Amino acid sequence: MAIYTIFSQYYHYFLRGTKVTVALSFFTVLLGSLLGSILGVMRLSKSKILSGFSKIYVTIIRGTPLLVQLYIVYFQLDFLTYPRVIFFGMDLERSMPCMIALSLNSAAYVAEIIRAGIQAVDKGQGEAARSIGMTPSQAMLTIILPQAIKNILPAIGNEFVTMIKETAVVQYLGVTDLMYNNGIVTTATYNPLPCYYISAIIYLILNLVIGGGINVFERRLRSSD
Amino acid sequence: MTEEKTLLIEVNGLRKSFGKLEVLRGIDEKIYKGEVVVIIGPSGSGKSTFLRCLNRLEESSGGHIIFEGTDITDPKSDINKLRQKIGMVFQQFNLFNNLSVIDNITIGPIKVKGMSEEAAKEIAIRLLTRVGLLDKIDAFPSQLSGGQKQRIAIVRALAMEPDVMLFDEPTSALDPEMVGEVLDVMKALAADGMTMVVVTHEMGFAKEVGDRVIFIDEGVILEENNPKELFSNPQHPRTQDFLSKVLS
Repeated sequence: MAIYTIFSQYYHYFLRGTKVTVALSFFTVLLGSLLGSILGVMRLSKSKILSGFSKIYVTIIRGTPLLVQLYIVYFQLDFLTYPRVIFFGMDLERSMPCMIALSLNSAAYVAEIIRAGIQAVDKGQGEAARSIGMTPSQAMLTIILPQAIKNILPAIGNEFVTMIKETAVVQYLGVTDLMYNNGIVTTATYNPLPCYYISAIIYLILNLVIGGGINVFERRLRSSD
Repeated sequence: MTEEKTLLIEVNGLRKSFGKLEVLRGIDEKIYKGEVVVIIGPSGSGKSTFLRCLNRLEESSGGHIIFEGTDITDPKSDINKLRQKIGMVFQQFNLFNNLSVIDNITIGPIKVKGMSEEAAKEIAIRLLTRVGLLDKIDAFPSQLSGGQKQRIAIVRALAMEPDVMLFDEPTSALDPEMVGEVLDVMKALAADGMTMVVVTHEMGFAKEVGDRVIFIDEGVILEENNPKELFSNPQHPRTQDFLSKVLS
């Protein structure tokens, strides 16, 4: 019952934090996908330098904790001045370095998604395209990528779900996400356990909703096969 | 071929290795305009690799392939331009899964040759009518049977108006009852005078349509002759052995 009491009294803290968490995850995945697409295509490039860079990048990001990456980016970029504006409930001055760090992290995972998505397209498709005289980029843009997208988009949706959970680390840099607000309510009520239950339920609902959306979307894509 | 012989493809000392494995060990061959050349041989003999070298889907490791006066193996040659003149049909059809039948056929003429959409569509309709698949014009590859896919794949290659057509085991992935419909299209094509290089296990097709049959084993041409001679009177022991197995 404590859960209900605390939520009814402090719900606007939780909702405010939820908004920040969703906005932060969304823009992170968006930015991460852009970067990740470049890295993913680089990985498949014939150039050893490009594919090597991409491979090393992915290895480093996947081999170190997000929290450590977050602090490194934050302190490494402390010479930057960020705009002091509120954007989708996010205070950009604090959120920007987090968004950068999270995007750099997400980009590594998206790069792998894109690489795998392209490689999953049957090799014969590219060969057939080349056999009628298409250039490598024509074959990629008109034949391979449109088919790879079907493998890629649902996986990027899952990356969004993952990011929603991962963004919980940004509270350490004072970004007012769900966990940060969870802390405020905990301090105010001296009753942490119900607060964590509330946060857990909110994360779960968010991911169920997004996961459901991805499923519908995935079925739409499949139906054209 | 009794009429004038125009040399179309000349292969000199073609070699191909995958790592340490030597798949082609020096192939010399001349293919003339209007000829139907059938390549047979045991699996792993290098016959498909030979075919794929002819449009540089495989980079050769040595030797030269001269197609209409241009050396295909020369890295400076414009391979995309050359491939427009070399149609290819694959064992696994490889129709573009994201495109409808009509787009599969017209994308080459439009995107590669810069043809207008109407002109490309006209060609597609003419060719589809010829293979009896005009009713499938708006279908997607996943809605077609294997035999239909392969006939469309042949049409896709023909739409580029190539000077030669390469067939890489075009009937090997088909259910037996669909082999005939694809072979019929190929026979009609041969009768029209198309130059064809066909890797196949269909000995009946080789006998009936082939002008010349080449037997490849372990990366070299062991024997070649007109089909009648090669099938009834093979000279090389390995050819005899192979034919006794596939014809029995």
